[in-house]
Amino acid sequence: MNPSRTARPGPAPAGAESAARQALPRPQIGRTRRGRREGVHGASFTVPFMVALVLFMIVPLAYAIYNSLYTSRLIGGTSFSGLDNYRQTLGSGDFWSGVVRTVVYAVIQIPVMLVIAFFFATIFDLGLVKGGRVFRTIFFIPFAVPAVVGAVMWSFILEPQFGPVTRLAKALGFGEVNFFSSNLVLPSIIVIVIWEWTGYNMVILYTALKSVPRDVVESAILDGAPLHRIILGVKLPMVRPAIVMLLFLNTIGALQLFTEPLILSYFQNSAISINWTPALYIYNTAVGGGQYNLAAAAAVVLGLVIVAISTASLLFRRSKGEVS
Amino acid sequence: MSTTPVRGRRRDDDMIPVKLYGLPRGTVTFFTTLATLFAIFTLLPIAWLVINSTKNQANLFESFGFWFAGPFEFFHNFSSLFHNLDGDGVYFQWLGNTAFYAVVGGLGATALSALAGYGFACFDFRGSRALFSLAMAALLVPITAITLPLYLVYAKAGLINSIWGMLLPSVVSPVGVYLMRTYVAASVPRELIDAARIDGAGEVRIFLTIALPLMVPGLMTVLLLAIVGIWNNYFLPLLIFSQNKLYPLTVGLGLWTQRAQNSGDASMFPALVVGGLVTVVPLVGLFLMVQRYWRGGLLLGSIAN
Repeated sequence: MNPSRTARPGPAPAGAESAARQALPRPQIGRTRRGRREGVHGASFTVPFMVALVLFMIVPLAYAIYNSLYTSRLIGGTSFSGLDNYRQTLGSGDFWSGVVRTVVYAVIQIPVMLVIAFFFATIFDLGLVKGGRVFRTIFFIPFAVPAVVGAVMWSFILEPQFGPVTRLAKALGFGEVNFFSSNLVLPSIIVIVIWEWTGYNMVILYTALKSVPRDVVESAILDGAPLHRIILGVKLPMVRPAIVMLLFLNTIGALQLFTEPLILSYFQNSAISINWTPALYIYNTAVGGGQYNLAAAAAVVLGLVIVAISTASLLFRRSKGEVS
Repeated sequence: MSTTPVRGRRRDDDMIPVKLYGLPRGTVTFFTTLATLFAIFTLLPIAWLVINSTKNQANLFESFGFWFAGPFEFFHNFSSLFHNLDGDGVYFQWLGNTAFYAVVGGLGATALSALAGYGFACFDFRGSRALFSLAMAALLVPITAITLPLYLVYAKAGLINSIWGMLLPSVVSPVGVYLMRTYVAASVPRELIDAARIDGAGEVRIFLTIALPLMVPGLMTVLLLAIVGIWNNYFLPLLIFSQNKLYPLTVGLGLWTQRAQNSGDASMFPALVVGGLVTVVPLVGLFLMVQRYWRGGLLLGSIAN
């Protein structure tokens, strides 16, 4: 026993504080000021993470911003160039066409994937599928497949000469389909990414649907609501926060598109230009072109674009009262 | 066809019976068919990988990809991973590297997330909200945007071609911190901590003996997420490693793909396919073993708040 503990219940102030705390549903909400010693302990628990965060995220970002303000030349060395690198990035048609392409990709891929994921999460949740548990496990498997391997498999499958899907298309009378042609390469990548991520999104939506209270659904049934109204009118609104969060996470992921197009470009050089997505632009500017300062500026711009989109969507949701 | 009704699973006990929805006959069959079609779509590439790991180089291209053909060459292909490509057994070096980066980085990320999540959930200290907001703002920073900056810092700090360059950033997991804070708030009762304090237990001991055992399911999810993230990471190791012997599998297989295509050395393709299979098997196995940790409410907790 340690009589010096300040948080000990009994004497009025500490006791009242602890009772007030116990009455709160969520411990971390509405905290009261506690002993200084505890504050020091609490802070020290977070120190390792915060130090790592500063060293491996904040310092590199700051250093990249610093680097983006300089230019290195073979002759003359490194010199301060102000916003020149940003001017060059923002004025680069290659960079912007990559941004536009990833936005188009995101606008198609994310809704299609979320609709498929929500559809299956719903029918599994309702018990409309025999062996739903087995299906859920199968759907989730691609999450465990590295994107590099997924892209290699799909590249073989869709390959223009010997790919089995290409052959099937020919046998079915579609003629010579080239999935790596400039028209079809984006849809092909969309299919690959849908294959990779639908299961993960489905599991999250399924878990969210499972938490919809049973009596809410039962009373809707008693009111004679048809199934599609129960799904769209009762369940969908209740899992809306989960959907919005998935929309948000998938958008951040989509704008970083890199691995799949890079691997596809190994199979068919002509299908994917070196600046096909902003991430490829950064990679090829730095590693291929050796223009690290310019690449740093592009990385900062890409980061800002993504943060801007994320923040805008957060503010939008907040204005609609979906997020506190 | 058996007419025995499907026994309700333990976890589905509270499900509303399907017949209450008043659906037309054949609805279940219809939806099961749709699910089967998507399952085929999901398994097709995996089946392709398994089937083609048994083919020789010629059949890999000439025979139909979704069926077996010719001599059964799986063991020959598999053994080729041990030798003659980029030096003896470099593939298994890559496999070992990947497992090492994933396990050590994953454990580090889990430890840091557990400490920070506990600190944010159970303590009120000056600046705790500001620090937590900072950690959550890090969620918004895309990995792609941070990779090149890391490379630039490494070039100055001598961490290019160092395993630390791979391991250290991997331990920073803002998602893990968020998950752990949510999980601790929901599953570690404050009364228990206060009672232990009254009994005179130190803060470190309270964390290790009381909080930590209650946090295990949450820790498992954070660990799995971190392991998968590192196992699949491609951009960072691609940028910071130029030495073959440090590569993880993703970079190694990417290199093989590039070389097989560009150098016209088609003999590398069977090794690439079987190498892909060996890359996939450990993680899928791990998943099937621990999938109950994905089913819990934790992933939901991670996004629904």
